[in-house]
Amino acid sequence: MSDEIELSLPIANVGRMMKKILPPSAKISREAKERMQQCASEFICFVTGEAAHRYDICWALSSLGFDNYSEAMLRYLQNFRGFERERANQNNKANNSCSDEKDEEISYGDDNTTSTPSFDFGILERGETSTAN
Amino acid sequence: MRQPGAYSKLLSGGVSGKTGPHSLPLARIKKIMKKSSEDVKMISGEAPIVFSKACELFVEELTKRAWLITLQGKRRTMQKDDVASAVITTDIFDFLVNLVVEDRNNSTAAVAANKLG
Repeated sequence: MSDEIELSLPIANVGRMMKKILPPSAKISREAKERMQQCASEFICFVTGEAAHRYDICWALSSLGFDNYSEAMLRYLQNFRGFERERANQNNKANNSCSDEKDEEISYGDDNTTSTPSFDFGILERGETSTAN
Repeated sequence: MRQPGAYSKLLSGGVSGKTGPHSLPLARIKKIMKKSSEDVKMISGEAPIVFSKACELFVEELTKRAWLITLQGKRRTMQKDDVASAVITTDIFDFLVNLVVEDRNNSTAAVAANKLG
């Protein structure tokens, strides 16, 4: 039983996600949350197994029919990478008093398009770029 | 012009808000990934991050579908069978059918056993 618990996502987090999408008056039974917990863990296992063969989670999501997720993932990841790059640059500027900017390489594998970093995680439409404040 | 999809709307708000950038513990996700397949030797730093968002979308979609079933039954409390029905009636959730049906069979058997006893 303890193994099962360890291999599940925390029920509080799962419950919170469920409540977020439902009307305030909706109620969710404990068993429904537990079932959702199991399903979410199985989702991770299923996609991971496919990704291990496809070498890429986004590709695996697409091939399993979760096309919408994979597009959203790529946009989320782009924003996250931009955020991390901006944070790294800020740390560098704080550490180095000299004027030359050292571009820190964050090796995430693929080349990133030079998108303007954004602190919020709003998803951009294709063809649009965010403007930093 | 491409219209925002259901998922981009979900992602556009509240991601970096109250609970921080990720709504699920990355270490736990990583553990589940490692256990899922012997083929998984190494996991990139970004993989759990991608999964935390993918799981959020998955949970939200399954929850919405389950809630529709709850409403059809004129109830306001979502039960585990609503989640099971949502799984069974959605093609891309086929991989979960064995998980929910097995449990349903067990609970049905338990109810039947109680009636006899």
